[in-house]
Amino acid sequence: MFIRVVPASGVPLYLQIESQLKHAIAAGALKVGNALLPVRKLAAELRINPNTVARAYQNLERDGIIRTIPGGGTFVAENTPGLLKSEKLRRLRPFAMQLAVEGTQLRLNQEDIVKLVKEALEELGEGK
Amino acid sequence: MTEWAIGTEKLSKHYRSLQAVDGLNMHVPKGAVYGFLGRNGAGKTTTIRMLMGLQRATAGAASVFGMSCMADRISIARRVGYVGEKKILFGSMTGNDLVRFNREYFPKWSDALAERYAKRMEIPMDRKFKKLSLGNRTKLCLLLAMAQGADLLILDEPTSGLDPVVTDELLRLLVEDFTNEGRTIFLSSHHLSEVERIADWVGIIDEGKLRLEARLDDIRAEYRRVVAFGRDLPAARSPQVLSTVAEDDNRTYVVTKNVEAFAAGLRNEGATVLDISPLNLGEVFLQLVRKEDVCISGNAGATRA
Repeated sequence: MFIRVVPASGVPLYLQIESQLKHAIAAGALKVGNALLPVRKLAAELRINPNTVARAYQNLERDGIIRTIPGGGTFVAENTPGLLKSEKLRRLRPFAMQLAVEGTQLRLNQEDIVKLVKEALEELGEGK
Repeated sequence: MTEWAIGTEKLSKHYRSLQAVDGLNMHVPKGAVYGFLGRNGAGKTTTIRMLMGLQRATAGAASVFGMSCMADRISIARRVGYVGEKKILFGSMTGNDLVRFNREYFPKWSDALAERYAKRMEIPMDRKFKKLSLGNRTKLCLLLAMAQGADLLILDEPTSGLDPVVTDELLRLLVEDFTNEGRTIFLSSHHLSEVERIADWVGIIDEGKLRLEARLDDIRAEYRRVVAFGRDLPAARSPQVLSTVAEDDNRTYVVTKNVEAFAAGLRNEGATVLDISPLNLGEVFLQLVRKEDVCISGNAGATRA
């Protein structure tokens, strides 16, 4: 599988797994209905504690990104994450702030920064 | 039944002039992968030998699955897969001989597992122990401990002398076979990157004392390094501050929770907070065991809920 974790980074391993899976789904590398590796199998592949993988899967399931069928495996869910739009925006705001801060530091103007975001979105779209 | 696989209460061992283990209070939850970390001579091996009843404690007590480590050491030996610091077995026996020998002793021994481990770790099973290389000796010791069907593995520096390929294979085998059904792994190491992968709990021992016992996820999610600059800053003495390092007008604090409130407090005292950043296990370890300019403060055990 394409997931890699960096134990020494100080970022919790379950967050590293979550964000890589989210990225793979957003980019279309994993499509609706695709199966994810079982928890124990992914843990063995990454040589990490299965609890860590289970926690990442639980968080993704809570957000409606994947779903688990008891005894039947874990799959990428229909594209209807059960979050309110306000909640989605709230989660994204820190990233926007970081982008704004870094961009301003580099003396980029608003137009440049917005263009970057658009380009990133287009790049994701090409993978679909 | 106790919820701990291993528990110690004020466990101590002193030799004539040396306090090797000093009032150790350690609790290893059942089902955990517990990394027991410390520098050379910190007291890891002495602690482990007391857990296995191989050395008598000077004071305090230790238990495994609720059994006394001294009084019940025979029962404990049958239920625990143990690999000691010195990987030595009967020199004239081959791997296959040792498998036959161990099979009789452990009620839950599995030949199938022994075979699997021999294959996966590439151990020459028909060669006499004394003819094996250091790495192969270690691997054979691990095979015997892992094939006995134990609910608890106690491994003292299990990867010392192993090459990177075998180390990787061992980690994989441990995750596949020993992180389910409530089985517990207790391993000592100073290879922090391995521990950081497979452990979910860590204990850090230094000069015989347990400096920290915490969930690894809590360390990653909540522990922060705060670098502040200002005159007459306090060497903060609050339970949430794990360590303070002073350097001229700089202070580096390791804070275990509520970092924003802590930083706000510093700003109130006129300090400039230069940086707040997450720490990896290696950095926490260094902050706790480094000698120069350090004053350890606060309550190291405060993270246990």
